[in-house]
Amino acid sequence: MTQAKRQLCISCSIFRKEIEALQASGQLDLPVEFLNSMLHMVPAKLETRLQEALGSAHARQPDGKVVLAYGDCCGHMDTFESEPGTARTEGINCCEILLGREAYRKLRKEGAFFLMPEWALAWKQIFVGQLGLLGPCARTFMQEMHSRMIYLDTGLVPIPQAALQEASEFLGLPVEILPVSLDPLLASLQQAARATQSHD
Amino acid sequence: MERNHTQELLSAIQHADRAGANAVIEDWARGRSFSLAVTELLAPTLEAFGEIWSTGQGGVSLATGYVASKVAEDVLSRVLLESDTASGVAPSRGPVVVGNVEDDFHPLGRKMVAAFLRTSGWDVRDLGVDVSAAQFVDTAEACGARVIGASAMMYTTAKNVRKIREEIDRRGLRGKLQLALGGAVFKLRPELVADFGGDGTAASAVEADALFETLRQRSLGLAPACGRRTP
Repeated sequence: MTQAKRQLCISCSIFRKEIEALQASGQLDLPVEFLNSMLHMVPAKLETRLQEALGSAHARQPDGKVVLAYGDCCGHMDTFESEPGTARTEGINCCEILLGREAYRKLRKEGAFFLMPEWALAWKQIFVGQLGLLGPCARTFMQEMHSRMIYLDTGLVPIPQAALQEASEFLGLPVEILPVSLDPLLASLQQAARATQSHD
Repeated sequence: MERNHTQELLSAIQHADRAGANAVIEDWARGRSFSLAVTELLAPTLEAFGEIWSTGQGGVSLATGYVASKVAEDVLSRVLLESDTASGVAPSRGPVVVGNVEDDFHPLGRKMVAAFLRTSGWDVRDLGVDVSAAQFVDTAEACGARVIGASAMMYTTAKNVRKIREEIDRRGLRGKLQLALGGAVFKLRPELVADFGGDGTAASAVEADALFETLRQRSLGLAPACGRRTP
């Protein structure tokens, strides 16, 4: 069995299209198990599911290596990534992983709020259903915290123009489309995959 | 039948209804004053809300927490207006410094804490997001603050609290300058407060006032003179 085959990636589904594209192009040779990105809204649930997924992976292959394609998205992510043979993609959240540290910091300092492709379609479920932001409260909240929304366009799905326009009007922020390369994500996954080998 | 303004206000906040909450306060303050509304209506309501919030029960969402802080700000604005018209001066409980630690860009919790502290009479110096350790301590020294409130959402950024601890200690201000910590990761893992060198934390933004007062008293007990302009 090759080293690569003994590795598994557990990823947030926010990266599903991107990781599948990297696999399809032959740039990423890593089996991946995806967990629902909506778990991010309830970090305690995400933590439980991650723990289960890690436990299951180690049960299947006790000496297997696990790459976590996640930001620092729950309270004990540091505990998970410190387990033997486990490493996490570098970045505090999915947007930083996709953009790279410097671009992320620059845009956040400018007040950007990022929308990843998967969440752009689910914006109402997130803002209204999960966060409880309704009516004028939603606009005041977003305008106080952010200057604009940026849709991170990985080019793998059609830009959801109608959903973005609706979100922009509801939340009272202009929206920009930012084409992004998959290179930072690939580099981060490869770096984490290498780290699992020296992390026993 | 007499209205239960506290219950109505709590209900409006729990429904994230800022306008409704302000209408309740407006009604209560008619014939009284907004400064009285702070102590007799807003404070007990926020205390009740804080209890619900800290237990995680009662459907407290990001929106309701946000609305609670905005209502506090709204009342404070009315109090200040009232003070101006009466040529009075808003009472100050001394300066404090708040900010998000280096690399942390999640302002909501910090803004809520700042709003509740201001409503409680603190002179809040809000440094915003991504604040370096030196910026925190420089500002605290410059304004004579006894307490720094540092906010971090995640473990990765919370680790930068250590830099603030080191900066406080390097300048010989340990004890004199107290370090309050807040943010999601400290709520989930309160043991990190001590691990990273913090002096205390609170379960919710509403409880920040009590925490800051405890830390201020501790500072005064340890060092009667602090900073260049000690309050």
